[in-house]
Amino acid sequence: MRDPDLDRILSKEEEILPSSGFAASVMEAVQREAAAPPPIPFPWKRAMPGLCVAGLTLVSLITASIVLIIQGMPGQSIPRQWLTASASFVAASRNFGVAWILAALLLSFASVKLAMHLAANRMSGYQRI
Amino acid sequence: MSAREDQADVEKVLAGEIGAFENIVRRWQNPLVNLAYRFCRDRGRAEEMAQEAFLRAYRSLDRWRREAAFSTWLYALATNLYCSELRRIPARMVALDDVTEPRDPRAIDGGLEQEDQDRAVRRAVHALPAKYREAVTLFYFHDMDIAEASRSLSLPEGTVKARLSRARALLRSRLSQHFVAPLLRKEA
Repeated sequence: MRDPDLDRILSKEEEILPSSGFAASVMEAVQREAAAPPPIPFPWKRAMPGLCVAGLTLVSLITASIVLIIQGMPGQSIPRQWLTASASFVAASRNFGVAWILAALLLSFASVKLAMHLAANRMSGYQRI
Repeated sequence: MSAREDQADVEKVLAGEIGAFENIVRRWQNPLVNLAYRFCRDRGRAEEMAQEAFLRAYRSLDRWRREAAFSTWLYALATNLYCSELRRIPARMVALDDVTEPRDPRAIDGGLEQEDQDRAVRRAVHALPAKYREAVTLFYFHDMDIAEASRSLSLPEGTVKARLSRARALLRSRLSQHFVAPLLRKEA
């Protein structure tokens, strides 16, 4: 089979006409979309302090772990202030239950994201009807 | 003319005059429904997909950058939607091997009638892997213009050319047995 044969056949595709109510049904969906309240944005401003604390805690924990690993290695010396600061930070984190706060924040973020995703899917489903 | 009308209507919609979007729908409903139909070969589904494309266009009108023509932006948006819709829920597929089954018993000792040949080619295109099918569909929809097809697919022209070439090779190999006899007869 040659390319010109393919071109000839595929170029003369049948055309279909949209049904008479198509434009009206699109406009109905558009009007519904315009009337719907805007999606609730994620409350970044409120979540930001918590996220910052969580981020800092995570970084500190990683730093503390690295310090402890290096401390265990022979022939390595770590500045005393570092060790004291890391140890006190880990203790304070434990007292405040930072791990739980971090887990709760992550869980809240995930559940809000999931709810928004489900709501968006449902909205587009309604619009298609 | 149409480009200026599109721009004027978009400005109106963005200014809050939602009714102006109907002009855009009326101007573009035919190409968008036909493009969807070429992807799915189902009239009802083509209209559903075109409606969704218009809704997406409405939602993201403010993201249309004026340096590209409105039609280019709209086709790219619609193509993207149609491709992902068909990857999510594929159209009724025909196995590539079934394509070569002659529908008309006369084909066994001769060839297919013109209509059957055309149908066989379209079924073969429909049975191509998605990335080749998309390239072929867009290329012929845009009157064999590779630049337009590549803009709609948001792919480099070279990639579209390569996909077209591979798609043609696949079609040639699958359909050769149908076309050898009639072509020989025509040339004789």
